[in-house]
Amino acid sequence: MAAPEQPVGARFARSAMLLSATAWFGYLFLLLPSFVVIPMSFGNAFEMVFPPRSLSTALFHKFFFESNWMSATWMSFRVAVGATALAIVLGVPAAYSLARGNYPGKKYVTMLLLSPILVPIIVIALGLYFHFASLGITGSELALIFGHAVYTTPFVIVTSMAGLRHVDQNLETAATIMGAGPLYTFFRVTLPLLKPAIFAGGLFAFLMSFDEVVIAYFISKAGSTTLPVKMFSSIQWEISPVLAAVSTFLTVISLIVCLIGAFMQKK
Amino acid sequence: MAMVRLEKASKHYGDVVALREVDLSVMEGEFVTLLGPSGSGKTTMLNLIAGMLAPTSGSIHIAGKDMTQVPPNKRGLGMVFQNYALMPHMTIFENIAFPLRVRKMANDEIKKKVAAVLELVHLPHVAGRKPRELSGGQQQRISLARCIVYSPSIILMDEPLGALDKKLREQMQLELKRLHTELKITMLYVTHDQEEALTMSDRIVLLNDGQIEQMGPPDELYFKPRSVFAADFLGDSNMWDVRVESTGAQATAMLPSGHKVLAGSGNFAKAGDKVKAMIRPENITVVREGEDAGRFDNHAEGTAIDSIILGGVIKHYVKLKDDVTITAQELTRSGRRALTPGQMVRLAWRSDDTLLLPLSGKIAA
Ligand SMILES: Nc1ncnc2c1ncn2[C@@H]1O[C@H](COP(=O)(O)OP(=O)(O)O)[C@@H](O)[C@H]1O
Ligand SMILES: [Mg+2]
Repeated sequence: MAAPEQPVGARFARSAMLLSATAWFGYLFLLLPSFVVIPMSFGNAFEMVFPPRSLSTALFHKFFFESNWMSATWMSFRVAVGATALAIVLGVPAAYSLARGNYPGKKYVTMLLLSPILVPIIVIALGLYFHFASLGITGSELALIFGHAVYTTPFVIVTSMAGLRHVDQNLETAATIMGAGPLYTFFRVTLPLLKPAIFAGGLFAFLMSFDEVVIAYFISKAGSTTLPVKMFSSIQWEISPVLAAVSTFLTVISLIVCLIGAFMQKK
Repeated sequence: MAMVRLEKASKHYGDVVALREVDLSVMEGEFVTLLGPSGSGKTTMLNLIAGMLAPTSGSIHIAGKDMTQVPPNKRGLGMVFQNYALMPHMTIFENIAFPLRVRKMANDEIKKKVAAVLELVHLPHVAGRKPRELSGGQQQRISLARCIVYSPSIILMDEPLGALDKKLREQMQLELKRLHTELKITMLYVTHDQEEALTMSDRIVLLNDGQIEQMGPPDELYFKPRSVFAADFLGDSNMWDVRVESTGAQATAMLPSGHKVLAGSGNFAKAGDKVKAMIRPENITVVREGEDAGRFDNHAEGTAIDSIILGGVIKHYVKLKDDVTITAQELTRSGRRALTPGQMVRLAWRSDDTLLLPLSGKIAA
């Protein structure tokens, strides 16, 4: 029973250190494979190996100029921009109504509007597929924009509602008493103050759409599809080394968008 | 003309009655203060007038028109908020120009008006700055300028100086008073600070639990309170339990010890009633050695407990025989000394300064 006395604090500190080391190791183990593709994308054009045996930009050359990968990239871009715009146009007024309005059943309207966050994405994809098929617009770019707007709007609503909580309601009251109508107040007072939140929500929506596979896979047609779907289908037939370059490209785009977001947040 | 008139205005929140059948008129050019403890319904009343709340019953008239159903942006009022409510994304110029732009005024005229009103609040050089670059006092002056610039029929202010420190608050009180006199603006001012109400108002409306307890000019509320609540809320008071002996032009009442107190008329009461007797501390005189106290008709003797000097005034606490404590207040002068605890003290006061008040409720006006 005469175990040497150990201060509780020291024992606690040691186990905390052990815990955080384990966590870091776990993260690295999961993250590293994603980063491995970056050096691989600078390998030669015929094989995917790590570490690359020779360095070149041949894979990027192929991606940008010699393949049909670029058309998918542009399509992803257009869809993401369209879906983001739609999500903002729908989501910001919805958030305003939910944050400022006072009507019966508001709780249920909120739940309904945010439900796409809770429903499994595969279920949304399937639903959209049947719906768009009955409308006869499956496979169109418009269908993709609508589909991704369904997916991203709840996130714009959530960020806008959080932003609205930081917009002092007294400012809106003051504007109203000074004679401004609801629309004037919204566009001249609320919206300018909400801009950072809308911007953050918009970037998030853009990234979500740009990365999205499941919905796009269900409602686009084989010939014209988005970048992630093309990656997914191409991997089923052959593992083209260009995939490494595409992955690097996607990672860089995400990183840039995140950096823009962080930069705007600081300002 | 009455700029604002409430007629039997009530506001209920479920079971809570925030305002109960209030009648009030604010005349053109008047400075009226709504005074009352927290929760007495001051903000509710302002919001009813501004149109941010709809009354449960009753009506609201502004500048002669029934505005009960008119939305707040069509009422032509001005409001100053405690947290200033300046638009953080606009310059001071744009903030003041806001109500003019809403009214689609021409740019030249906007420039002229904003410059003039900035001059008026003594801040001509801040037009290009953002609100956060100004101090609290300056921001409040800008928010006042933003009201003055479009000449609303009345300016409503909800505890506008509550966020400022004491010195600045006193400065702003004078500034507000100056603007009110210079521009003859009608103002409805909300505060829970009785001193502020007493300094600034033409008329004070004392609210208690959603009802008007008493209204009138400051000196009337201070010297002729009609209830224990009003006497307590404004200023300090000596308040004793007494039994009425006789009423008339002058009333007589008796302390539990049997000591007789002469008071002003107590016509609401009859002989035998238990009431309160109220005397302001500054109306009680400490009679010094060799002084003639013949002009007073009330006298008492007691033991000094303590004296406290509060800057310009000195307060004496004296205990009478029957455990009643009296506070007397004098101006501090170099000759006047504090009382030594335990020393015998003679006190005197006038019956005219002694008010009888009902234990509950108020004397009818
Ligand atoms: N939105 C509300 N819901 C329920 N009760 C309220 C609401 N607003 C005010 N009250 C109640 O109405 C009464 C008066 O409030 P208020 O006008 O804010 O008082 P004051 O401004 O004098 O402090 C208080 O009892 C308060 O609790
Ligand atoms: Mg209040």
